[in-house]
This record gives sequence, structure tokens and C-alpha cells, in this order.
Amino acid sequence: MDVAANPLLSVDRLTIDIAGAHVVDEVSFTVAPGKVIALVGESGCGKSLTSYAMLGLLPPAARRTEGRIMLENVDLAVISERRFRKVRGKDISIIFQEPSASLDPLTTVGEQIAEAYRVHHGVSKTEAFEKARQMLVDVGIPDPGRRMYQYPFELSGGMCQRIMISIALICGPRVLIADEPTTALDVTIQAQILDLMKKLVAERGTAIVLITHDMGVVADIADDVAVMYAGRIAEIAPVHALFREPKHPYTALLLASVPKLDDAPKADLATIEGMVPNPSEFGVGCRFADRCPLATDKCRLEQPSLVDCGNGHRSACWHIDRLAEIRKVAT
Amino acid sequence: MLNYAAQRLIQAFVAMFGVLTIVFIVMHLSGDPTLLLVPQDASAEMIAELRHQLGFDRPVWVQYLDYLYGLLHLDFGVSVVQRVPALDIVASRLPYTIQLAAGALVVAIGFGIPAGIVMATMRGSVIERILTAIVVTGQSVPTFLSGILLIFIFGVTLRWLPTSGSGEFSALIMPSIALGALSMSTFARMTRISIIDELGKDYVRAGRARGLSLGSVVVRHVLRNAAIPVITIAALEIGNLLAGAVIIETVFAWPGIGQLAIQSIQSRDFMIVQVIVLLISFVYVLTSVLADFVYALVDPRIRLVR
Ligand SMILES: Nc1ncnc2c1ncn2[C@@H]1O[C@H](COP(=O)(O)OP(=O)(O)O)[C@@H](O)[C@H]1O
Ligand SMILES: [Mg+2]
Repeated sequence: MDVAANPLLSVDRLTIDIAGAHVVDEVSFTVAPGKVIALVGESGCGKSLTSYAMLGLLPPAARRTEGRIMLENVDLAVISERRFRKVRGKDISIIFQEPSASLDPLTTVGEQIAEAYRVHHGVSKTEAFEKARQMLVDVGIPDPGRRMYQYPFELSGGMCQRIMISIALICGPRVLIADEPTTALDVTIQAQILDLMKKLVAERGTAIVLITHDMGVVADIADDVAVMYAGRIAEIAPVHALFREPKHPYTALLLASVPKLDDAPKADLATIEGMVPNPSEFGVGCRFADRCPLATDKCRLEQPSLVDCGNGHRSACWHIDRLAEIRKVAT
Repeated sequence: MLNYAAQRLIQAFVAMFGVLTIVFIVMHLSGDPTLLLVPQDASAEMIAELRHQLGFDRPVWVQYLDYLYGLLHLDFGVSVVQRVPALDIVASRLPYTIQLAAGALVVAIGFGIPAGIVMATMRGSVIERILTAIVVTGQSVPTFLSGILLIFIFGVTLRWLPTSGSGEFSALIMPSIALGALSMSTFARMTRISIIDELGKDYVRAGRARGLSLGSVVVRHVLRNAAIPVITIAALEIGNLLAGAVIIETVFAWPGIGQLAIQSIQSRDFMIVQVIVLLISFVYVLTSVLADFVYALVDPRIRLVR
């Protein structure tokens, strides 16, 4: 992984507890400017909590118990709320899964975009408004002059997501977190939004943390992939290495449900038999053991850590050498 | 929007018409309304004469049309006791009740809404617990009891405030608090619930994610969204305050329409009772129409679509 050399954002052994369980457990990854890292995993594996932690916006029930979140050389995990406010929206922005719910229904979208600019820049309302209008042009919204005065309910989901992207990017952040940005949208709109994101990374050198459970999207846009399972990273690798030769049984099974990379944009992660354990049922061993065809007693008793397999490819499995068995079963 | 306004006005009109009709039916339910209007010891001739005089010997539907015709011309009948138009008597007492209701509304909204905001945004704090205690008290002590307690404490024992009567501002304080207490609790609880509900929504997290403080998100976005259910309550509470005035005005010897209603029932002056019932109903209908218009002002989804 070449990004390790000069990371912009690096999350290091991030651990988040809810009711005593590590719902996010020692999650580490890095992302460099202009790169996209994808966090993939089934629903409930801790992707959103990880992203909220990066913004210091964990829900009251959740608490970061360990780990660092380094934005260059500032540890966001320990700065004050007051300082964090200057980071949010300016250095790190986020877009969410439900774009329409993420906008205040009673305020025009123009005002909401302008507000995002004014929080961080002491400019007049008119100036911020002009800036917002310009942003709408950048994200490809036709007739921006009129759109500015519309309310969220007057816009489609895809349009609302473009508004959210405008809000997220208006201050030119260095990191954009996208938490399942296309899950709630139509397939055709999904592609447009992803293209837009790709374009923006290329133009502005924004680093993107893309959360998704769609392997097709990962193949399309990510440089690196971290596969999460039950709060832990199972495997992390450059995207081509991961697709060519997965080093974790979970990834291998996921990919087995995507016959060929190019013609299967939608892989459903839930096609593996069994269920993700509840955080309260996490045992001492590998959290994937109950669903894993390679599991042995050792897996149930001892938790594997990430092991370097070369070329920036790391996997947390006791049986990396037996992965050929799964690939055979799958084909 | 025009469509929406027209719809609301038609609904209000229908509701008011329903109220008028129900009041008419109730007056005639017991058969002959003359009996409601005469003293208990009246002779048969007196009753017959009054019946004829008031037109109660005509067919019911003629009387109904006549009643509606009268209302159209603001003719609400004549008080049998005082022999003057019932409307004039009620109108002379109305300013007192308006003062009292306004005072109570100031207590209810002026204290209830800020209390609700604080209770929702400062959960777990000492001030939240104090406010909760006040709100629960306001909600659970019956109006007549809180009135008597206030009189006992501030009027009789401490002698800070007059125990009854009207005229000075100081005389308005206790009845306003006693009358407003229940509404105050309702406002505080509704505001609190409504804000807590809004705080859990995605746009709050999104607002903070763009760098706003929680306080700014509350002021700029949450309060307006949370106001919508509170507006509904406000409309109902104004009507409830008028109804509650019946008790409070009696306790504090306050010469408004509540006291008048009790006196009129006691003296069997049902024309006056009828005017008061119609008036309170009218206020309910009017405030709910007003609330619908305020919704439209606050919420573009209503203003622009319907
Ligand atoms: N506010 C919360 N209160 C309690 N549990 C939560 C809360 N948010 C998330 N969780 C739990 O934390 C785990 C991870 O959730 P999340 O990060 O939302 O997963 P993902 O985004 O991968 O679907 C889940 O088990 C979820 O039930
Ligand atoms: Mg999620």
C-alpha cells in the first residue's frame, strides 16, 4: 500500500464501546490525498460508528475507549469540542446515506449550503449565497439560481445528495467521508453520484473514505479496501490485490458471490450463510468463526490479528494458507 | 396555498355551524325550553305567555331558522332575568376574561416553552430536575386547589397580593398563575418531547457535521421544526383556558364570563349560558383555523404543496 508513506488521515487501533462491547475493535487504516479507501462490510459491522468517531459525533451511547485519529499530525480523538468544530466541514466532511433526512426540511437548500460556508468563513450572507450557487454549478445541478430557493421536499433523492455534496465540499475539505452515499438512490442516479465523487477527488485531491456494502462500487472507485466484520478489520489491501487474491475467508466468500468483477455491479453481502453475531455475543476467538468453512478450535479460542502478507496486503486469519480450499468450493 | 386556506375556512364554517345546531338541539332536548327560562315557581299562565312571547309554540324547524336568522344579526336573545340583550351582558364581562386568559397564556407560554427547551437540551442537569418538579406540580394539582393554595399563601399569610377582585395588575397575578399552570405544564412537556424527537433526526447530526455547535443547530433548525406540534397544542390550550376560567373566576371572585356562566346557570338565565357556550366554541374553532395558517407559515411543505 503506497499510501502508508504519506497518509493524510490515519485511524489507528480505534476502539468504540457500546454497553461494554467493542462494537468497533482496533480498527486501523490510512488514506492519502486524492485516494479512496472503501470500508466494506455487512450492516451493523461498525462502519457508521467509525465514521462518526472521525467527526467526533458518536451517539451518546457510544464511547471511544482507545485509538487515535490522526489528521496529519493532529489527534482528533483528544481535541476539544470547540477545536473539533473548526475541523468539521472544513477539514473533514461527511455525506450520509439518507440525503433528504440530512437536510432541515424547513430551510431552503441554498441557505443550508451557505450556512456551511459561513460557519467557517466570516463573510456576508450575500457572498456565502453566491459561493453556494457556484457550488451547485460544480456539482452539476441545472438551474442553480432557482434550486437555491427550493426546499428539500421539492428535490429528488439524487438531487438532495448533490446538495449534501455541495455542503460537504464548499469549504474545500481534505477528507470526505461518504457513508453509503448511494444506497438510498436509484441505480442510474447511483452511477451519477459516484462519477461526481470520482471527478471531485481527481480535481481537488480530496481523500475519500467510502463506506459501502456494494462490491461493484468498490471495484469502480476505491484504491484500497478495508473489509470489516463485526467491528474488526478482516482484511485490508489495495483494491486489485484484494479482488485478485483475497486473503480472508470472509472476503473470499463475498467475492465468490460476485462471479465476475466487471459485469456484476451489485453483490449482496448477506448471501453468506449464518448471521453476524450481536456485539453482546462476541467471544474470545475470531468473530467470523461461526460462519467460516475453515474454522478450527484455535479460531474459536484465539483472536487473529492482522498479518502482513506483502505488498500492503494484510489479513486477520489463522488459515491464510488454506484459502485455496474456499476458492475451490466457490468455483 | 389558496386552496389550503379555502379548505380550512370551509371546515371552520362547517364546524361552527355544527356547534350552533348542537346548542339549539340541546336547548330543545328537554322538550320545552320555556321551562328552562322561567323561575321555578312560575304560574301556568306566565309560562304560556313567555312561551308565546319567545316563539317556542311554533314548529321546531321554524324556530331553528329563526334562531339562525337571529344569530346572523347578532341577536342572541334577551336575558330573562335582566331583560337586556344577552350579548350585551356577556360583552360587558368579556374584557375581564380576556385579561385573565391573556395573563394565563403569558404564564403558560412564557414559562412553559422555555422550560421545555431547557428540559430537552440540558438533560441530566439540576435545572432540568427542578423544572420537571415544577411541571409535574402544575400538571397534577387541580386548578381550584392551586387557586385556594395561592390565596392562602400569598394573599392571607404573606399578604403580598390581593385575594380577590379585579382592577389592579396585582390582582391579575394569582388567577393568571392558577389558570395558566396546567397549560404551562402541557406546553413544557410538548416542547420537551418535540425537541428531543427532533434532536434524534439526521439533519441535526448533519448540521453539526458542517461545523455548527449543537446550540446553533437547535436555534437555527431544531426549534422551528419542533414548533409544529406545539402550535397544535397552543390552539387547543387557548380554548381550554376559557373553559378553565369558569372555576378560577369563581375562586378569585373575578367578574368575567366564567363567573357569569355560573351565576346564569344558578339563576336559570339560559340565554346567557347559550351565548357563553357559543362564544367558547367560536374561540376553539377560530384558534384552530389560526393554527392551520401558522402551520402554513412555518412549513413550506404545507404552504407550497397543498
Ligand atoms: N446509537 C446507538 N445505540 C446503540 N447501539 C448502536 C448505536 N449506533 C450503532 N449501534 C450498534 O453498533 C453497531 C455498529 O453500528 P453501525 O456503525 O451503525 O454499523 P454499520 O454502519 O456498519 O451498519 C451495531 O451493532 C449497532 O446496533
Ligand atoms: Mg451505517
